[in-house]
Amino acid sequence: MSAATLLEVRKLGKRFAQRQGREPSPWVIQDLSFSVRDGEFLTIVGPSGAGKSTLLNIIAQIDTATAGEIVFNGASVTTRDPRALKPGFDRRIGYVTQDDNLLPWRSTLDNVLFALEVQARLNDETRARAEMLIRAVGLAGFERYYPHELSGGMRKRTALIRTLVYDPPVILMDEPFAAVDAQTRTQLQADLLKLWDLGRKTIIFVTHDITEAIALGDRALVLSKQPSRIAAEHAIPIPRPRNVKDIFALEGFAATYEKIRADVQ
Amino acid sequence: MTVAATPAPPSRLRAIRWRTVVDRVLVLIVLIAVWQIGTWWVGIYWLSSPWATAARFVEQTLSGELLRHAGYTLWEAAAGTLIAGLPAVLLPFLLRRHPVMVAILDPFMIGGYGAPKLAFAPLFLLWFGIGLESKIALAASVVFFIVYFATLAGVRALDLRLVQMAQIAGASEWHIARHIVMPGAVPNIFAGFRIAVPYAIAAAVIAELISSNRGLGYLVQTGAMNFDTTSVFAAIAAATLLVLAANGLMSALEAMLLRWRPPIQSMMET
Repeated sequence: MSAATLLEVRKLGKRFAQRQGREPSPWVIQDLSFSVRDGEFLTIVGPSGAGKSTLLNIIAQIDTATAGEIVFNGASVTTRDPRALKPGFDRRIGYVTQDDNLLPWRSTLDNVLFALEVQARLNDETRARAEMLIRAVGLAGFERYYPHELSGGMRKRTALIRTLVYDPPVILMDEPFAAVDAQTRTQLQADLLKLWDLGRKTIIFVTHDITEAIALGDRALVLSKQPSRIAAEHAIPIPRPRNVKDIFALEGFAATYEKIRADVQ
Repeated sequence: MTVAATPAPPSRLRAIRWRTVVDRVLVLIVLIAVWQIGTWWVGIYWLSSPWATAARFVEQTLSGELLRHAGYTLWEAAAGTLIAGLPAVLLPFLLRRHPVMVAILDPFMIGGYGAPKLAFAPLFLLWFGIGLESKIALAASVVFFIVYFATLAGVRALDLRLVQMAQIAGASEWHIARHIVMPGAVPNIFAGFRIAVPYAIAAAVIAELISSNRGLGYLVQTGAMNFDTTSVFAAIAAATLLVLAANGLMSALEAMLLRWRPPIQSMMET
């Protein structure tokens, strides 16, 4: 793993616009700083309402920061003007959201190909990559199905590879597996690690589930309650490849879990 | 949804479909019976019987007269639907990024929607003559506002999360209009046309009624003038069949274009 810093968040602050006749709105995020190395799988754990989605929205440039800056590859990319935002930062930041946001009128295959299509990058090579990813997550045979015909887990997989297929250098994930049952979630986590092994993208994965943060990440950050800032940082000493299904039994899991839990308020 | 949708077994669906067909025939028989009783009640001179109407309908269809007149009416309604439907669908798309324009236009559009268009029929006849053009104009004026508001509702119901997803993936404004807004609005556009097309046919018939020398409305008018209620009913039956056929065509088109919708949702609407 290379040690070069790819993305850095410096003293980030966010408060939403004040409504007329109300108290000044509180800071959702304040003085939040961290950095991600190229190829690192960073997990961020925080209680509900800690501003986790807001943080990712700012990094993905679908929302502005009120203070601080985001530095990508050494250059500041922050703007205070909502109209100057570049969602996805010119396809360099992918975003897998909590809801799968699949296009209901597109089949599995066409949903996966959507980004390539609008980026005018649809060719034999990228098609082959899409097919490879579809096979890798067990969606082969479901290419022609519409989203409403798929199970929750299958929809999550489709949303996942829809972002992976166009290969953005950084991928943000906002509790993508929160809405599925425990068994499916474990399988999805295993799938994600398998896919990550293929490309070793830089991933920032936000979750409220400590076990998930440990199972997936190289390093876990703990967010405090509002206004959220980094409360603690933990390297995860569990070697890869990891067997997500037996993560509890692996050496180092219990100790890391206890340490993180003590920090999560 | 956490599990794959399990459609009802085909045998049950088939049973439901048959049941519907049988029940529809029963309702039809009841309606015809009520009509027949009415004929006995007031006399065939005032209210033609179902049998006489059917016989006249067949006779006029075989002679080609009914088809010729229905053809005129259909042509007027179709031309009006196309002429008004196209801009009515395009306008909300063009105005999507200009909410102020939509707000400025709103009272005028609502006024246009609410104004009794049929009262314009004499004016249109004055302006466009007693030929096809005045009927097309009346049908168009009815279709435009219905389709405009239906499409506007579809464009406004846009799921912004899908737009954000697309922007992050690198979609341009055009891509978003083409791949997100448009397919999302198609169900509403269809709902608009489903309401508008019967109105367009009715508008054409009524304009013909007022002044014309052809079309189903003309048949109604001459029938009534000659105290021939059988001809009136035959023409009305033809207009009704025209509406049903147009509706069937739209259902087929809708089923094809909206394959992606969950079946329960589309079944409730048909």
